[in-house]
Amino acid sequence: MVSVGATIHDPLILGDKTPSVVTKDICSSLDRGPALSWWVAITISSTMLLLGLVAVGYQVATGIGTWGLNNTVGWAFDITNFVFWVGIGHAGTLISAVLFLFRQKWRTSVNRAAEAMTIFAVICAGIFPLIHMGRPWLAHWMAPYPNTRGPLWINFRSPLVWDFFAISTYFTISFVFWYVGMIPDMATLRDRLKAGWRRSVAGFLSLGWNGSFRTWLHYETVYLLLAGLATPLVPSVHTIVSWDFATSVIPGWHTTILPPYFVAGAIFSGMSMVLSLMLIARKTMHLEDYITVKHVGAMCKILIATGGMVAMAYLTEFVTALYSNSEYEQFAFMNRALGPLCWSYWIMVGCNILSPQILWFKAARSNMLVVFVVTIFINIGMWFERFVIIVTSLHRDYLPSNWTGYAPTWIEIATLVGSFGLFLTLFLMFCRFIPVIAIAEVKGVLSHGRK
Amino acid sequence: MTRQCQQLNLPDRTHTLFKWLAVVGGASFVLGLLFAPERAWSSFLLVNVGLLGMGLGALLFIAFQYVCGAHWAVAIRRVPEAMCGILPWAAAGILFTLVAGKSLYPWTTEHAVGMKGIILDYSFVVARAVIFLGLWLWLARAIVNRSRLQDRTANAALSASNKRLSAVFLVVFGLTFWMACFDWVMSLEPEWYSTMYGVYHFSGAFLGALAAMTILAVWLQHAGPLRDVLTHEHLHDLGKMLFGFSTFWMYIWFSEYMLIWYANFPEETGHFLRRQAGAWGPVFIANMCVTWLIPFFVLLPRPVKRSPGMLVKVSCLILVGRWLDLYLLIYPSTVGSESVTFGIWELGMAVGAPGLFMLIFVRRFRSAAPIPISDPMLEASLHHHQ
Repeated sequence: MVSVGATIHDPLILGDKTPSVVTKDICSSLDRGPALSWWVAITISSTMLLLGLVAVGYQVATGIGTWGLNNTVGWAFDITNFVFWVGIGHAGTLISAVLFLFRQKWRTSVNRAAEAMTIFAVICAGIFPLIHMGRPWLAHWMAPYPNTRGPLWINFRSPLVWDFFAISTYFTISFVFWYVGMIPDMATLRDRLKAGWRRSVAGFLSLGWNGSFRTWLHYETVYLLLAGLATPLVPSVHTIVSWDFATSVIPGWHTTILPPYFVAGAIFSGMSMVLSLMLIARKTMHLEDYITVKHVGAMCKILIATGGMVAMAYLTEFVTALYSNSEYEQFAFMNRALGPLCWSYWIMVGCNILSPQILWFKAARSNMLVVFVVTIFINIGMWFERFVIIVTSLHRDYLPSNWTGYAPTWIEIATLVGSFGLFLTLFLMFCRFIPVIAIAEVKGVLSHGRK
Repeated sequence: MTRQCQQLNLPDRTHTLFKWLAVVGGASFVLGLLFAPERAWSSFLLVNVGLLGMGLGALLFIAFQYVCGAHWAVAIRRVPEAMCGILPWAAAGILFTLVAGKSLYPWTTEHAVGMKGIILDYSFVVARAVIFLGLWLWLARAIVNRSRLQDRTANAALSASNKRLSAVFLVVFGLTFWMACFDWVMSLEPEWYSTMYGVYHFSGAFLGALAAMTILAVWLQHAGPLRDVLTHEHLHDLGKMLFGFSTFWMYIWFSEYMLIWYANFPEETGHFLRRQAGAWGPVFIANMCVTWLIPFFVLLPRPVKRSPGMLVKVSCLILVGRWLDLYLLIYPSTVGSESVTFGIWELGMAVGAPGLFMLIFVRRFRSAAPIPISDPMLEASLHHHQ
């Protein structure tokens, strides 16, 4: 479908490629054996994963007492990590579903990897509430089913239960959406591969795709419907995560702007993580023609927009706390900025508000090194944002006699490292076995033959 | 490439109708000041906040289009541009309320203490209002003027310039609008506060502007200027935006309400208790129904979003919802929450505001070409399809 719009914009994919060149380019890294850099990366990431597994094994065997929590700070590192990972998992469905409905054709180069990242991030997020239960083998008690436990039934009034449902729904739909989008590419792989187990798997996953008009028609209908269904999930998941905090009566947690603020923050952090990973993939897998300066620029603009929303929320919260004349509200925010944990607050402000401002300049958006550094800053800043919200609001509560500090134990740090290990390992495996760019979708936006 | 377009020829009868509506609105305000000053000022604030929201929502629409590099709405951009013409009038109305109608605000007589006392210091509030309104008016003028200048010069650099100005406006809007809503509306109940308040006003204002834009575009299609311009494809996109932002409004509404309900702080719940108890209950429910529930289900099927008649009906409903929404935000705080006060003063100004709006809209629309004839993206917009 040729849009008149396409002729007034620059081509999305560089090099005037034909469809067959696209297939060859994207599949070539799957055909080759893994490069040395891949082996180095997977060694590091699986070591991190191993460390995390040891830490998780130890804390499940010993108990949650191995964490640095205390009576006052009952939630800290694990929930910070949970919210951080759920946030990272937001860009994928935004890119694949929301930008699809917005007709943003540049999404085709990054949606596959972003969706994969979403799924891996949600898996990482899920680990933390699971181990926080203390007895993760009883996790199935979260599901409401007829049971013999008598009155021991899940509490539907708890936002934590809503969260369980929100995240499992999000995971399911994101996974289905990712898979459905992959069906034509699985058929491409099936047709390219030599007979063997890989071709059998690709053949099975391609569901007998034959590329006929009818197949495409059904496929595109399903894709559009799934995009429509997945779109409400983008705001709903982080809205419900924000309710975990905002329904409470703790100053700094109970504030009505939290839902849209958390959603904006999640897209902000997710987009920056997509950029961090895609900039590396682009370089190492030689995808410069597919993930161009234009793609990076569009994603940088989303960072500016969502970063601006987050900054607006910080400002609104602060001014409203002053306006409220409630000494608890005022103290909570002054304590964030000037209290004993103020370093975390200023890391958050520096990374999330100040660092992205450089992206206003086109020269900065076109410099991949600058963009990469900014996205790393944002990843750090968004982790600290959750730390600030969770820990600084708790450690000095209504009763000064309860005031205390918080420091993570090495177990908690090792678990965080392990979650990064899991995330990176899964992502590296993805780069090896699945086309990192949606071949069929990119073919639809080529400039070839449109002049 | 330039196109010849028919300019809007308004029948005298319609023009007279708008004039009379505006006169009725003005007369209701003046007479209301004599007989029921509290209601007159409340209603005056209501219509001015509403009209300001229309203008700012239209400007936001233009700014979003520019910063996104979107082409689809270029052909109908003159509609939101003309809607911005209401901004100076609404700004004057807001300032007039702050100066002459300051008795509406309890903090002007019983001064607040502490930090609230500093934030709600009278001269500080007025100074802020002047700065906020000044910035918005200046940016609206600059953006609309550049777009019109492009008609004559066909200079593509003006589009780039407007893109930059639009980004500036969006940043300015994000920094100022929520504070303005705190100052002008939320402070009617000075003890109550909610961080979502500004976002809530934004969602309503933008939704209202979209609804008005849809009605005006369809009307201009019938009246001539947009006859061969506005297609089902443009309407489909407007319908999708109406659907999306109506749902966004509900999302913000629900998030604010649910969090206050759940935490159940006495300081916070009073605001909603006053608005859902007794006679206000049906108004409270009606607001949700006309702004979201009915538009959501009506706009769901594809053919509705492509049907001008249905879109206009839904948009009218949403505009009624806009009035109800502001009525619910303002009246229980100022006139009182014991009974629902609605009478000749409210009705007069509620019909007067659209009259004034249309008079200014028509004048502004007729003062430029009906479509941005030299915009580089015009052709793409005219041939837009889904």
